[in-house]
Amino acid sequence: MENSTQESQPRSANFITYESSYPLYAMALSSMPSVTNLNHQRLALGSFMEDYSNRVDIISFDPETLSIKTHPTLSFDHPYPPTKLMFQPNLKSPSSSDILASSGDYLRLWEVRESSINPLSVLNNSKTSEFCAPLTSFDWNDLEPKRIGTSSIDTTCTIWDIEKGVVETQLIAHDKEVYDIAWCEARVFASVSADGSVRIFDLRDKEHSMIIYESPQPDTPLLRLAWNKQDLRYMATILMDSNKVVILDIRSPTIPVAELERHRASVNAIAWAPHSSKHICSAGDDTQALIWELPTVVGPNGIDPLSVYLAGSEINQLQWSAALPDWIAIAFSNKMQLLKV
Amino acid sequence: MATGVQIQERVPENLKKQLALTVQDIQWSYAIFWTISARQPGVLQWGDGYYNGDIKTRKTVQTVELNADQLGLQRSEQLRELYESLSAGDSSPQARRPSVSLSPEDLTDTEWYYLVCMSFVFNIGQGLPGRTLSSGQPIWLCNAHYAESKVFSRSLLAKSASIQTVVGFPFSRGVIELGVTDLVLEDLSLIQRVKTSFLDTPQPFASNKSIPVDGITENDKDLTGPAFDPQILDTKVSPLLGCEQIEMASPNDSSDGFEPNQPAEGSFMVEGINGGASQIQSWQLMDEEFSNCVHHSLNSSDCISQTFVDHANVVPLCQGEKDNDNGLEDVQECHQTKLTSLDFQSDDLHYQMVLSALLKSSHQLILGLHFQNSNHESSFVSWKKNGFLKSQKARGKTPQKLLKKILFEVPLMHDKGLLESPEDNGVRDAAWRPEADEICRSHVLSERRRREKLNERFIILKALLPSNSKADKVSILDDTIEYLQDLAKRVEELESSRELTELEERMKRKPQDHVERTSDNYGNNKITNGKKSSINKRKACDIDEAELEIDYVASKDGLTDNLTVSMNKKDFLIEFRCPWREGILLEIMDALSTLNLDCHSVQSSTTEGILSLTIKSKYKGSTVASAGTIKQALQRVARKC
Repeated sequence: MENSTQESQPRSANFITYESSYPLYAMALSSMPSVTNLNHQRLALGSFMEDYSNRVDIISFDPETLSIKTHPTLSFDHPYPPTKLMFQPNLKSPSSSDILASSGDYLRLWEVRESSINPLSVLNNSKTSEFCAPLTSFDWNDLEPKRIGTSSIDTTCTIWDIEKGVVETQLIAHDKEVYDIAWCEARVFASVSADGSVRIFDLRDKEHSMIIYESPQPDTPLLRLAWNKQDLRYMATILMDSNKVVILDIRSPTIPVAELERHRASVNAIAWAPHSSKHICSAGDDTQALIWELPTVVGPNGIDPLSVYLAGSEINQLQWSAALPDWIAIAFSNKMQLLKV
Repeated sequence: MATGVQIQERVPENLKKQLALTVQDIQWSYAIFWTISARQPGVLQWGDGYYNGDIKTRKTVQTVELNADQLGLQRSEQLRELYESLSAGDSSPQARRPSVSLSPEDLTDTEWYYLVCMSFVFNIGQGLPGRTLSSGQPIWLCNAHYAESKVFSRSLLAKSASIQTVVGFPFSRGVIELGVTDLVLEDLSLIQRVKTSFLDTPQPFASNKSIPVDGITENDKDLTGPAFDPQILDTKVSPLLGCEQIEMASPNDSSDGFEPNQPAEGSFMVEGINGGASQIQSWQLMDEEFSNCVHHSLNSSDCISQTFVDHANVVPLCQGEKDNDNGLEDVQECHQTKLTSLDFQSDDLHYQMVLSALLKSSHQLILGLHFQNSNHESSFVSWKKNGFLKSQKARGKTPQKLLKKILFEVPLMHDKGLLESPEDNGVRDAAWRPEADEICRSHVLSERRRREKLNERFIILKALLPSNSKADKVSILDDTIEYLQDLAKRVEELESSRELTELEERMKRKPQDHVERTSDNYGNNKITNGKKSSINKRKACDIDEAELEIDYVASKDGLTDNLTVSMNKKDFLIEFRCPWREGILLEIMDALSTLNLDCHSVQSSTTEGILSLTIKSKYKGSTVASAGTIKQALQRVARKC
């Protein structure tokens, strides 16, 4: 079904392209290599086709030989495009089965084995009807692997205990649709919404939330959020139609620490480096993927990126591999590229 | 960079030794000498200090054997060095690090407090040192860590450092401040002791008029003119120091030494090229390191905080009486209105708790993986400022198209898939046309419009309701249901009582047909003692017609005991008995409505010619009538014939 270019470009040993037969959006990198070949990294690629039948494919990548292998059996259907895919974080050891979570209409869990994928569960948090408010995103808590937080267009965030398959809690997080959610610790998370605010929630104290940033033009939606796992003080967010990446310090609410403004068009995705507290990568409609290093002192002209990569078209998705920190995966139109940092 | 270091006050060695001896003698944690800034008249800044508190004993490498005193002095020196290196903002950040023997991770919280104090500046009359100097009296502050920031601006810092007692007393045109991590009660004799120990050793400040001068210790005796004359200082100092003295230029224009437009310019001995930006830089750096060690100073209105990169925005416009110690406090104050959460004490506390828990448990900063950008194997190319002109700008298409579709449309796809209404089908078709650029926009807009329409109607509904319901949609609907039920009941009752009145009128006109009709009517009107009452009724009627006077007397007698009005806020319960006559019910209702009483429940019964009424009504005006007024009105009605 899918075409795949399995070999890297002969000239350079620093990136590899995978071409799919449909446009890609959601992408996930597994946190641990597969057990058979210890260096292989699994990737899950979700399609974006504007009708009911969409697919998620699992491929694996070998950084040594720079090759990508497709597994026709490791593929499943998904109703409408998955809005986010994520493998179970922090797998302690390479195991034969990995768990992949997908969000769309419901939160679904899939067990990814060597040669097959089994659906594990479908989590629906609506008590009254079959129908649950569609999810825009979710985040898997890496300190508490049974906890997943989802964000939805019905202004709520739902925290799931996926081992028991029940809702731990559901919070009305914002006044408008919630677009992204990110965990900090076992019980603290932040969310961004169409109402333009970033709020931090603590599960021990569900009555209160803290707005730590609001978009300067009121009601400019904030579309994505990423929390720096190496330094929990910092998080990054992007606004709708904006070329800026806003870096926030949770200790000083409402005032951004930095605004990274070197993209020539709006930014689509951000990812903090999994191994360094000072680096962040962003990608946008200007076909650029920029790696930034956040300095301790800032020059008067703002911060310049360290390095840049030009893709063939607008980059829609960006993931920085935690298992292989030297590699960044980007998705644009129907291609996925793995870039060496 | 090195030249910048010399801008600081060069207090003679003696003072330092004195401070050292003093603080060791009384076994306190630190001693600071605040001195009048030469650059800014009327401002106190760091003169010298000695740190005698706890240190982390990680650094075990000692090339030279030092005794305790020298260790202490060395430590204070190192702290000062570190401070200067942190505040020096311009050239390569990496280069300056190796020269400093201490790095921020090695400091205890108390050392941090000491170091941060170096950045503080006080107007005379403000802050503990300022007030000490202006009043000329010593100030003893217990529980400094709990003090209000107005009283002691470094209270939050003190809290993280566990500094519990701070004492300041004026000394030699400056203020000596001592602090300790224990709680020591006020003891003036201690101050005396310190003072005498100072006076014992000869002081360089022989002349009252001389002032410590930037960087030129030898020349201070030459300045005999009026104490604060920055102009002279400028000319003296600038030839000696090579680099640009930005700060020199700025304070000259200020009238009172407080420069609201230059954040923290006095507080940092920063010689950065771009004055504003460099301070921001240093603040950012300070904060970076500061937070590493201090986990509790989280109240951003007080602590050093990072600022917006665009330094133009940092210029605070609010002027206020605050210490110039932390110029960025100004920025924070200005933003206070935006800090919605900080307006509420409890929210603040909660957030502080959250933050402190977070940062305590988070692991130390990994000091930056050394990014091999020079790695030839990388797919990424080094950033050039003006490069990549060929990278496409937005081609005029929808920005963030796919992202927006994922967030705005895909969820609606699920929605529409299940609801399947015609309106939705139209929208769904639109969604399937990938060429249309404005899809996501129009979805969002139409959804928003629909929500707005709904909200509008809810507001109108709320306005129609009599009671002050809560503004949320569920309560509005609940109250509407209640109100409608109420109204329906009232309408029913009013209609039934109107029937009654009509009947009574008819009865009056046709007395002959009285007997039969009344009995029937009375039965219909649910009045107790059907037959008996009909007989009575007849009697009453007869009396009415024939003997008005007697009737009047009778009704008057019946008046006084049978009227109770009880009140509960705006609700009235009226129990009323009076002799019945035609139309009396209507008149009573009229009277009540003139009094702005909305009767929502009426129970009436007539027994033996006496009408008993129980009315529950609500006051619908803004001022409530008294029970007396109501009673009077009702009695008037009853009395009429």
